[in-house]
Amino acid sequence: MTRLTPFLAACATRGLQAVLVAVIVGIVSFAMMQALPGDAAYRIAAGRYGYDMMDAAAAEAVRIELGLDRPWALQLLDWLGALAQFDLGRSLVYGTSVIDEIATQLGYSLLLALGAVVASLLIAIPVGIAAGLNPGGWVDRVSLGLSIFLRAIPAFALGVVLVLVFAVQLRLLPVAGFRGVAHLILPSLTLGLGLAAVSNRVVRDAVAEAMAAEWRLFARTKGLSARVTVLRHVLRNASLPVVTYVGVQMAYLIEGVVIVETVFAWPGIGHALVHAIFARDIAMVQGTALTLGLIYVALNLLIDLACRGIDPRGSSA
Amino acid sequence: MIQRICAAAIGALLTLSQPALASDNKAVTVAAPWEVASYDPAVSGFAIQKLQIMENLVDADETGSLRPGLATAWTASEDGLTWTFSLREGVTFHDGSPFGAEAAASALTRAWKQPGVLSKAPVTGIAAEGGALVITLERAFAALPALLAHATTIVPSPSSLDPEGNPKALIGTGPFKVEAFTPPQSLDLVRNEAYWGTLPKIEAASYLAAGRAETRALLAESGDADIVFTLDPSGYARLGNVETVETVAVPIPRVVTLKVNAAHPFFADPRARRALSLAINRAGIAAAITRFPEAAADQLFPPALNDWHNATLPALSHDIAQAKALLAELGWTSGEDGILTRGDERFSILLRTFPDRPELPLIAAALQDMWKEIGVELDVSVANYSEIPAGHQDGSLHVGLYARNYGLTPDPVGTVLQDFGTGGGDWGAMGWENAEVAEALAAIAATADAEARAAKIARVTRILHDELPLIPIVWYQHTVSIAKGLENVVIDPLQRSYGLSAVSWSE
Amino acid sequence: MTNAGQGAGPLFGLGAARLTGLSLLALLGICAVIGPDLVGQDPAKQALLNARQPSSAAHLLGTDHLGRDMAARLLSGAQLSLSLAALSVLTAGIPGTLAGIAAAWFGGWTDRLIGSLADAILALPGLLLVLMLAAISPGSWWALYAGISLTLWVEYFRYTRQRARIVLSSPAVEASRLLGLSPGHIIRRHILPEIGPGLLTVAAFGAATAVTAVAALGFVSVGVRPPTAEWGVMMTELLPYWREAPFLILQPVICLVITVLALHLSVGGLHRR
Repeated sequence: MTRLTPFLAACATRGLQAVLVAVIVGIVSFAMMQALPGDAAYRIAAGRYGYDMMDAAAAEAVRIELGLDRPWALQLLDWLGALAQFDLGRSLVYGTSVIDEIATQLGYSLLLALGAVVASLLIAIPVGIAAGLNPGGWVDRVSLGLSIFLRAIPAFALGVVLVLVFAVQLRLLPVAGFRGVAHLILPSLTLGLGLAAVSNRVVRDAVAEAMAAEWRLFARTKGLSARVTVLRHVLRNASLPVVTYVGVQMAYLIEGVVIVETVFAWPGIGHALVHAIFARDIAMVQGTALTLGLIYVALNLLIDLACRGIDPRGSSA
Repeated sequence: MIQRICAAAIGALLTLSQPALASDNKAVTVAAPWEVASYDPAVSGFAIQKLQIMENLVDADETGSLRPGLATAWTASEDGLTWTFSLREGVTFHDGSPFGAEAAASALTRAWKQPGVLSKAPVTGIAAEGGALVITLERAFAALPALLAHATTIVPSPSSLDPEGNPKALIGTGPFKVEAFTPPQSLDLVRNEAYWGTLPKIEAASYLAAGRAETRALLAESGDADIVFTLDPSGYARLGNVETVETVAVPIPRVVTLKVNAAHPFFADPRARRALSLAINRAGIAAAITRFPEAAADQLFPPALNDWHNATLPALSHDIAQAKALLAELGWTSGEDGILTRGDERFSILLRTFPDRPELPLIAAALQDMWKEIGVELDVSVANYSEIPAGHQDGSLHVGLYARNYGLTPDPVGTVLQDFGTGGGDWGAMGWENAEVAEALAAIAATADAEARAAKIARVTRILHDELPLIPIVWYQHTVSIAKGLENVVIDPLQRSYGLSAVSWSE
Repeated sequence: MTNAGQGAGPLFGLGAARLTGLSLLALLGICAVIGPDLVGQDPAKQALLNARQPSSAAHLLGTDHLGRDMAARLLSGAQLSLSLAALSVLTAGIPGTLAGIAAAWFGGWTDRLIGSLADAILALPGLLLVLMLAAISPGSWWALYAGISLTLWVEYFRYTRQRARIVLSSPAVEASRLLGLSPGHIIRRHILPEIGPGLLTVAAFGAATAVTAVAALGFVSVGVRPPTAEWGVMMTELLPYWREAPFLILQPVICLVITVLALHLSVGGLHRR
C-alpha cells in the first residue's frame, strides 16, 4: 500500500505532463514549420507530384486547396480545435488520415526500438560487467577499442556491412523489408550495436566504481559469500546510471532510427517524420511530433518507476 | 488512438510472425526506389500504373506507339475539337463493380481538375455520352490520346473514393489487385482472376520501396528481390559479376540538363551559354559519374526519343580555349583570383539542384570544378527541387540542374511545348523565347501528320541546339537487375509498366 | 584479483597511455593546421577520369569518386571535423554539466524547470531543430554546430544531475554544507572528482557523435555544400562506393577512430576506476 501511493502520484504527474507536452509540442512544431524559409505550397506540391509533374501552377493549386494563404493563427486554431476532438487531420501531401498513417508506422517503429534496446542491453550488460570487474584488463581494452570503432562508423555503413555479412554472404537473414521476425534482426542489431557502444562503457564505469567502493567496505571480509554480496551490491548500484542512460537513448532512438529505417526499407515513424518535414506536411509533422512527445512522457514514467524500484533514495518525480 | 496503435503494433507483430511471402516460389518481388504512400492517382499514379493495378483508356507499347487500353478505339471530329473514345465492354473493377463511361468520365474529370497533364491540355469538357467518353477541346491537340496513357489518368473505381471525394482504396481494373498495402513501403498483389485481357502467369507479386541504392543492390544480390529497378552505377557494375542475376540497361528519354536564366545579364548572350556548355566535359561525367560513356548528351533529345533526336546536329563539344575566347568576346577578363570580372561584376553564380537523384549533386560538384577552369565561380545549393520552379517564378535562379523526362507521355510534344513555348516553362527555358520555335511547336501539337511534324521538329531541335536555353549534359539509362529463372521480363523505356503481367518462372 | 591492476605499476601504465593519447592529439592538431599545405594538392581539384584509384605515388591515399586526392580531403576535413567535435563537446558539455549540478544543488523548482526544458528538447524532433537552424543560414557551419549541441547537452545534463544528487546526499557533503563551506569548494572537492571520469567518457564519445551526426544529416541531405571536405560528409559521400572501393569510406572512419581513441587515452580513460 505504501508503495502504491507514490506510484499513483507519479502517474498523475506524468498524465498532466502528457497533456502539456501534447499541446506544446504541437504548437512549437507548428511555429517551427511556419518559420522555415521557402514557400510551403511549393514544398507540398513537390512532395505530392514529384519532380516530373510539379510546377508553379501545381503549387498555386495546392495553396488554394489547402488555404495556405490564410493567417497562420487561424490554421493553428483549426488544428487545436480538431485535436480537442482527437482528430489529427489529413496529410497535406498524401491526403490520407494522419492518425491512420501514424498508427500503422508507430507499431513498426516501436517494434524496431524495442528490438534495438534489447539487442543493446544483451550486448552492453555482459560486456560492461566483464570490463568493469577488471578495469584495464584485456576485456576492458578490447571492448573500449570496439566501442570507439562502432561509435565512429555511421549507422548506414554499419547497416550495409551487417547486411553483406549476414544476408548476402551467409544467407542467414533477409536484406530488407518487414515481413518476418528475421527481418527485425539486422536493423535491431545495427541500432543496438551503436547504442551498446556507449552504454557498455556506462555499465563498465558504474561497475568499476561500485566495485571500488564496495571493496573498501568488504575488504576485511573473505570468502565466497562476500563475493556474491559484493556482486549484488555492485550490480544494484550500477544499474541506476544504466537505466537513466537507456532513457536518454530511447528518445534519440525513436527518431534516430530514420537512417536505419531507410537502409532496411522499414516503414517507421522516423522516416515518415523526415519526409513530412521536407515536404512541409504540417499536419503530419504536428501529429508525429505529438505522438513522439507522448511516448517520451510514457517512457520517462517507466524510467522513474524503474529507478524507484532500484534505489528509492535518489529518485525524483 | 491508443487502441489503434496497440492494434497496429499487434498487427505488425502478427505480420512479422507470418512466414515470408518470398518463400512462396510463385510470388515475384519487385524493388524500386519510389515510395507509395497515397491512394490518389495524382500522387501515386506512377507506382499504381507500373504495378498494373489500374489501367488507362489508352495503352502504349515499349516503342511508345499507342494501343487500345480500356478504350478500344478513338476518333477525332473533323475540326479536331471533339474526341470520342469507345470503351471496352464487360470489364469489371477488382471489387466486382462494372467499368463504364461514367466511371471513366469521373476519373478523368478528377485528373483534369488537379495539377497534371490534362490540366495543361486545352480541354473544355469531359463527359460520358451513350456509353462512350467524349472529350471536347478548345483547339486541335493531336497528342490527346497520349495524355490518356499517362500515369495520372488511370481509372480507379468510383468506390475508391470516400463520400468527400478523397481516395481511400486502390481498386482498379488491372491484371493485379491489392491484397495488402503498408504505406509507404510495400504493396502485396495477387492476380485478378477476372481480368479482361490475358491472365498473368504469376499468381502473386509484391513491391518493396527501398529508398537507398545500396539496399536495392543488396536485395538483388541476395535474391530477396527478383526484379530491382534503378541501380546506382556502382551497384550496377557490381551486379554484373553476380551469377544469379542479369543486369540490363535501357536508354530512356530522360536527360540531365542545366536550365540557364537567359534574362540574367551574364547569360543573355547565346555565346555565354555556349561558353558554359563548351567548358563541360560531358565524356568525363558520363564515364565517371553515371558510367555510361556513350550517354554523354551531345544534344538535348536522346536517341531513345526517335522522332525528336536529330542526327544531323553537330555534337556539343568540350573546348576550354574556345569557351574562354567566347567569354573574352563578351568583355570578361580574368581577375586576380582567376575568376572572371567585367566592370564591377564578378562571374560568381549559384546553381540549384536537389538530392533526390543522387547523381545530380555529384554532377554539380563536377561542374563547379570544370567552370572554375574558365573562371566561373559556382556555388552549389542542394535543396528541395521546388526551389527551381520557385526561382523561375521570382526570377532569382541563375542556373538549375535537374533531370527532365521527355517520355512522360508517349508523345513528348506536350512537355516540349511547356518547356519551350511562349514564356518558357518552370522546367524549361527561362527568360528565353523564340517565336519560330513557339509557332512550330503549336503546329506540331495540332497535327498528326508525320511528315509535317518531322520538318518542324528538325527546325525546333536545331534552334534549341544553337541557342542553348537548356544545356544538356547526359542522357539516362534505366538500369534493372533480373533474377535468373525469370522469363519474359520487358523493360519499358517509358517506365509505364514493370511488365509483371507477362513474366513467368522458367520450369 | 580485481584490484591487482591498481597496485602493479598503474603510474607507468597511466603515463604511457596518456602520453600516447596526448601525442596523438597533438599530431592530429598539427595535421589539421599545417597538413593541407603539406600535401600540396587542392582538395577540390577533380580528375573525373582518374576516380576511385587506390593508393599511388601521386595520391598517397588514393582518389575519391570524383578523382579528388583523398589525403588532401582528409586533412582539410580534419580542421572542420576536429573543431566541430571540440566545439560541440564544449557548447553541449559545459552548459549541460552546469545545469545538471544546479538542478541537483538547488532541487525543487530549479530542478523541475531545467528538467522540463531538457524533456521538452528531447520530446521535440531533433531534426526539426537542426533543420530550423540550418535553414536560417543555409550551408553555414555554425548552424550545424548549434543544432547538434542543442540536442546533445541533455545527455550531459542528465548524467550530471543524476550523479550529483547522489554525491550531494552523501554524509560527507552534507557535513560540508552544514559547515558552510562554499559551493565552489564542494563542487571542486566532491562533485567533480566523483562525476568527472564518467563525464569524460560521455564527452569523448560525444565528440564522435557530433561527427557521425553530420554524416547522418548528410544521409538525409542536410548539411554542407560541395565541395567542402569534412569527415562526416565524406562518409556519406563515399557510401555508394563501399563495395568497389571500401578503402575510401574506411579512411574518414579510421580518422575518427584515432581521434576518439586519442581523446580517451589522454584523459586516462582506460585506467580509470
